[in-house]
Amino acid sequence: MRPTEVKLNNCPEDAISAVKFGPKTNQYLIASAWDGTVRFYDVVNNAMRQKFVEDMPVMDVAFMDIVHVVSGSLDKQLRLYDVNTHTETIVGSHDDAVRCVEYAESVNGILTGSWDKTIKLWDMRESRCVGTYEQSNGKVYSMSVNDEKIVVATSDRKVLIWDLRKMEEYMMKRESSLKYQTRCIRLFPNKEGYVMSSIEGRVAVEYLDPDPEVQKRKFAFKCHRNKEDSIEHIYPVNAISFHNVYNTFATGGSDCLVNIWDGFNKKRLCQFHQYDTSISSLNFSHDGSTLAIACSYMDEFEEPPANVPNPVIYVRYVTDQETKQK
Amino acid sequence: MGRKKKKASKPWCWYCNREFDDEKILVQHQKAKHFKCHICHKKLYTGPGLSIHCMQVHKETVDKVPNSLPNRSNIEIEIFGMDGIPAEDVREHERQKNGGKSDSDDDEPAAKKKVEIPLSAPPPMMMPPNMMPPMMGQFAPMGMMTNMPPMAPMPPFLGPGGIPMMPPHMLPPRPLFPAMATTSAAAVNPAIVPQKPTFPAYSNATISAPPTTNNPSATGNSAPPEGSKLPPSVPTGNATGITSKIMHPPEDLSLEELRARKPKYQQKLTSSNNHQQRISTSGSMMQNHNAAVSSSSSMTIPTSSSTSSAAAAAQAAAFSKAQEVSAYHRYRNHSQYNY
Repeated sequence: MRPTEVKLNNCPEDAISAVKFGPKTNQYLIASAWDGTVRFYDVVNNAMRQKFVEDMPVMDVAFMDIVHVVSGSLDKQLRLYDVNTHTETIVGSHDDAVRCVEYAESVNGILTGSWDKTIKLWDMRESRCVGTYEQSNGKVYSMSVNDEKIVVATSDRKVLIWDLRKMEEYMMKRESSLKYQTRCIRLFPNKEGYVMSSIEGRVAVEYLDPDPEVQKRKFAFKCHRNKEDSIEHIYPVNAISFHNVYNTFATGGSDCLVNIWDGFNKKRLCQFHQYDTSISSLNFSHDGSTLAIACSYMDEFEEPPANVPNPVIYVRYVTDQETKQK
Repeated sequence: MGRKKKKASKPWCWYCNREFDDEKILVQHQKAKHFKCHICHKKLYTGPGLSIHCMQVHKETVDKVPNSLPNRSNIEIEIFGMDGIPAEDVREHERQKNGGKSDSDDDEPAAKKKVEIPLSAPPPMMMPPNMMPPMMGQFAPMGMMTNMPPMAPMPPFLGPGGIPMMPPHMLPPRPLFPAMATTSAAAVNPAIVPQKPTFPAYSNATISAPPTTNNPSATGNSAPPEGSKLPPSVPTGNATGITSKIMHPPEDLSLEELRARKPKYQQKLTSSNNHQQRISTSGSMMQNHNAAVSSSSSMTIPTSSSTSSAAAAAQAAAFSKAQEVSAYHRYRNHSQYNY
């Protein structure tokens, strides 16, 4: 029997910015990191198959298809990698660091979000930018795409909702319902809403439909906190990933914990063991059978730990009991 | 009134006097709150079951049902959902619900309720302290000094986090909570109870709780709007002495931005700048269709007549504009017809 959790070999040497499974697979995983690498793993054989090295920290990666990977980095560039031929090309650039990269399947394009306060849509066949969209003067901190819907969380605690079919203007602009800086935002698999998290141990579940009846269902809750000697430590919730089949979601915080939640029934389904250090990225495979967990310390604490744990990626084979609504 | 009757028929938990809409949920609640082994977190079915489990598995004695009211902590009684509740307690409960509001009766539940409230109350305490540190650190000192007592002034100045914006969103749920907390559930308000508690996991995890609790004036229903401004005042009124600390640098920038400032990355940025420019220009010549078009058109300008150069410029301008405005449609057209 395979173990429930595997620690990957050849993990990045600096903070891991993102881990993502390939489309329709739980075997291939990519990881981007601040050491300037984009690593391509074969999870089943626990082997690193390919490594691309840049000089600059890579902030996010995404699969376009199983052999094409795109990355955004601190040096403002969007790069395209071909895993088979081990080639890389610069597709284009933003005016500031590229924070998020997502593949927009519905238009077969790439979306990038940047600290230059825009998102851009790229046609990868021509390697060119086909649209630049202002994000109401907020740096893009997190972004999620599902079919035609895009949600963008910005530095000024706004959430902008876009429709890829109608990009002249955003569909909606909302104030974040969380009081503190947004860390992560993810659309529901059914596109009806999104889940977002803040640096202050809190997660909000929101619905897109402005109908008051629907809006009543939104809520927020506290998590990733712990009390020690009457001091409550509240940790940033850095990562969210949806289980595409059960519509439950996982959150990862700087408290080194991963929780799985059933947002519809407002229940926590499970909590895994404590990990080495802060959870910086999470990603469920498309079928929800596997969860990639990236741990890396992001200098969030006032007093850094005595010895900073090495960044590490775990791949966990989750069970229905852990992820399915009861 | 109608409400009360309804309540009487609702299943309730003998151990903590909480009511539920559904017996199934009650059973879930009991398993999670009262019959859970504190060592291995296994959920047992009854009090005696828990005690036997702990004895046999962990060699530990459990003499009280966890999270129970003081007079309801008997672990010997076998209660499962609504089954097994001593008849007298059932009658007592009914009587309370059915308006038999004698003082003595009412005191009890109030007291019991209070036991539960801390669950939802801590948030109120914790929240504001959260705000304090950053606040105090950066801005508050001045604001505090010049503006009246510590309680009131803070809220309006909450600029940094944009905090004031939030309450409006959260208002609907909020009034419920303060009401519950401050009135101490004196009248076990039916509207309130079922609201949150149904989800034990979340009962102390809801955002609505924080703000108003410590505000004595919040007792009335008129409080909410006021309350929305008041939350930050609570930190000072921190009764329990619980302080909280957000494990994040005070500066309102993302961890990534802060990290990017580190010299080792900045160095790379500057050192690679020249190199980068070379790459990106060559890259755009070869790969960026758009750039190629506009650069070639500008190449032609010197040699061609003024009209054609103007046309080329206009074309380039139109091109880039169109691209900006309706990128998506262009994109679609492109993919349909050109490729």
